[in-house]
Amino acid sequence: MSGAVSVAITKRFPGFTLDVAWEAEQSVLGLFGPSGAGKTLTLQCLAGLIRPDAGRIVVGGRVFFDAAAGVDLAPQQRRIGYVFQGYALFPHLSVVKNIAFGLHGRPRDDRARRTSEVIERLGLRGLEQHYPRELSGGQRQRVALGRALAIDPALLLLDEPLSALDAPLRRALRDELREILSGWGTAAVVVTHDFTEAYRLADRIVVYKDGRVIQSAPRSELLWQPASESVARIMGLSNVLHGTVVKAMPDRIQIAWRGQALEAVNSPTRSYLPPPESPIAFFVRPEYVRLIRKDRGAPDAAHHMNLMRGRIVGEADFGTVWSLRLCLDTPGAPAQGDFDLEVEVPHLVYEILEIERDRHWEFSIHRGSIHVLPT
Amino acid sequence: MRHSLSLGLALAWFALGPGSAAAADPPSLTVFAAADLTFAFKEIAPRFEKATGARVALVFGSTGNFAHQIRQGGPADVFLAADQSFVEDLIAEGVLLRETRTLYAQGRIVLATARAFGPKLTELRSLLDPRVRHVAIANPVHAPYGRAAEQALRRAGLWEALRPKLVFGENIRHTLQFVQAGAAEAGIVALSVANVPEVDWVPIDAAMHAPLDQAAAIVRRSPRPELGLAFIQFVNGPDGRPIMKRFGFMLPGEF
Amino acid sequence: MDSFPIWLSLRVALSATTLTLLTGVPIAWLLARKRFAGRNALEAVVVLPLVLPPTVLGYYLLVVIGYRGPIGRALAALGLELAFTPGAAVLAACVGSIALVIKSAQAGFETVDGQLEQAARTLGRSEWSVFWNVTLPLAWRSVLAGTVLAFCRGLGEFGITLMVAGNIPGRTQTLPLAIYDRVQANQMGEANALALVAVGIVVVLLFGLSRFARLRY
Repeated sequence: MSGAVSVAITKRFPGFTLDVAWEAEQSVLGLFGPSGAGKTLTLQCLAGLIRPDAGRIVVGGRVFFDAAAGVDLAPQQRRIGYVFQGYALFPHLSVVKNIAFGLHGRPRDDRARRTSEVIERLGLRGLEQHYPRELSGGQRQRVALGRALAIDPALLLLDEPLSALDAPLRRALRDELREILSGWGTAAVVVTHDFTEAYRLADRIVVYKDGRVIQSAPRSELLWQPASESVARIMGLSNVLHGTVVKAMPDRIQIAWRGQALEAVNSPTRSYLPPPESPIAFFVRPEYVRLIRKDRGAPDAAHHMNLMRGRIVGEADFGTVWSLRLCLDTPGAPAQGDFDLEVEVPHLVYEILEIERDRHWEFSIHRGSIHVLPT
Repeated sequence: MRHSLSLGLALAWFALGPGSAAAADPPSLTVFAAADLTFAFKEIAPRFEKATGARVALVFGSTGNFAHQIRQGGPADVFLAADQSFVEDLIAEGVLLRETRTLYAQGRIVLATARAFGPKLTELRSLLDPRVRHVAIANPVHAPYGRAAEQALRRAGLWEALRPKLVFGENIRHTLQFVQAGAAEAGIVALSVANVPEVDWVPIDAAMHAPLDQAAAIVRRSPRPELGLAFIQFVNGPDGRPIMKRFGFMLPGEF
Repeated sequence: MDSFPIWLSLRVALSATTLTLLTGVPIAWLLARKRFAGRNALEAVVVLPLVLPPTVLGYYLLVVIGYRGPIGRALAALGLELAFTPGAAVLAACVGSIALVIKSAQAGFETVDGQLEQAARTLGRSEWSVFWNVTLPLAWRSVLAGTVLAFCRGLGEFGITLMVAGNIPGRTQTLPLAIYDRVQANQMGEANALALVAVGIVVVLLFGLSRFARLRY
């Protein structure tokens, strides 16, 4: 059970209440959600920097906080490594002194050995005598990590570890961070408002909204089956659409949407059987809408499910992919403002199909690519 | 860097130590004397030292402040006040020894004009002249000469009119300073301090104010009352009297 | 020229500044970092000596430390004296200047990023260690600025000193009191000489320190 984290806390502020409960095993857990949802607050409660009003926090078998029993360990006693947003490096201390800061009580050689090990593993050799203001963003992040890891913490907390960096750096360091975390093997909780980051860094993700947990699931499950429309919106999913149930079966749901009869797979994790005529939300990933080539004859119904026709009313070039906005040929107001569906095609496909020139298309969506969102 | 700073400070501390210790030998007699006695006592004290071989530390200031300090344990052996009332109060409180109370002089106030201002003012009424913008007197609240000045001005019916122009000195020497420096064009000061080159003066009729009977007494806590008494007697005796007279004091027997 | 007042004042200012630092910095930290009942009262009390007339302060201090006052009597029981000794001059300088240290240090501590202190706590450092290793090093310029001001103020302390230490030549007559004395006795030559020394000390101090610490006032 070592490394396992169990949190169940509430804290009241004027205008905001935090009321969350989740658990994690020895791995990386992501706290994901919009800003102000209470994720950083949770980290601070875990670290002992803020005191919850009620609840219990257990880390690695040790009770950090228990309101009922009157237990509240000081941050100094919790042995938690905290990487702050903005890193909070001590500006008046060199890199090596920053990293060694938590090793205060130990014998000198022990301290030197440990610090050296951390510097080596995080690729900071040569920077020992530098000061934080002389370091790049990526280097600072590694020093902050090193400082937290040097104390051999029972749990590592990272608050938006990559948001202080600019985009290209962010991607490179994201992967590096993942490697460091798995290489070190310490249990960690990562806070982020970027879903891709959460997905890359964490094995399990807890979704926060307005001080509450609205989904807690392994990352792939979250990716494919957001538990509700709220979650889908927070994840920034496109094509979150609303239709009406025609018929719901355990494995499939028939949906009426924009004059079309769609067939989608039902949620595999929950038994979701809304009655006919009831409203239903669902989403379609833009990259799973298939434009049908016009040079191969009529589309095969078995191969192409949920066949529709439409025309392109907008497009945007994202470098490696094109994002297209499709409007269905059926009459009526489009589902998302002035378009119905967002479609993503790789550059190559865009060129081969000559989409620039040809704007009318038939397209299909496999039923497994239409994900229902239970309410 | 930090270490050399604290080292430097420690050295400075020790270096300054002997400096202050050498000059701090305790005097044999500490005399708290009213400010109007400054010039007179600066002559009398050395003579006393020569005659007795004792060392005298003269501290001049305002009688009122001295009274408060002595009350709270000020290290005076003998107190020579600029009037009687403060001494009487302290005797009543048991701070001064009743049997040692001695009248040693009667003070006089004079109207002083700053030479830099122009012609010497000869009567109190002249203070109303608009060219006289500031009139210096000692603070009537705690300085006896200031109290006398106020009494005289009230007697002359000038107090209310002159009030806006009044500048208060902490003690009579301070008051004199205002006139000497020309900050005040005129003032009412003690005769005993008025003979300075920067100032012209005329006497003020003694009937205009309650007599400035100056009393002295020994402080009860003093470890050397005999020496203190000897000092008072020296001031009042054949050695001190001529000097006091020269500085314009009326002497016991004359008032 | 009698040099006793110069040495006395230097010694008094040094002692007073040390005392002021030792008492003022903790109070400044308390005001900067802690919320507690009576906080506003404390802030008012701290500023009071800057606002009250020195003679008034001196008057009441004397009542307390004189041989009849509570502190005076307690000290007498231990065979110690405070009123009318150089120690009283130190007390006067301390009282007159402590607000300068407290306000400067408080402002300095408040600008230290609280998150750095939080980080230090998570890394296992005690509250004292957090203060000594994080807060103070990052605020040292403000503390130093306040200290220098306090030293200068202590060097020039007059009104309170006059009351609680007395103007006793050769014992408690500090430099400012000596200058005052000479001026009143119209000994302008000596007064000017002493005043020049006072100004000289302050100029050297400020110049040296600004070179040393790159201070900006």
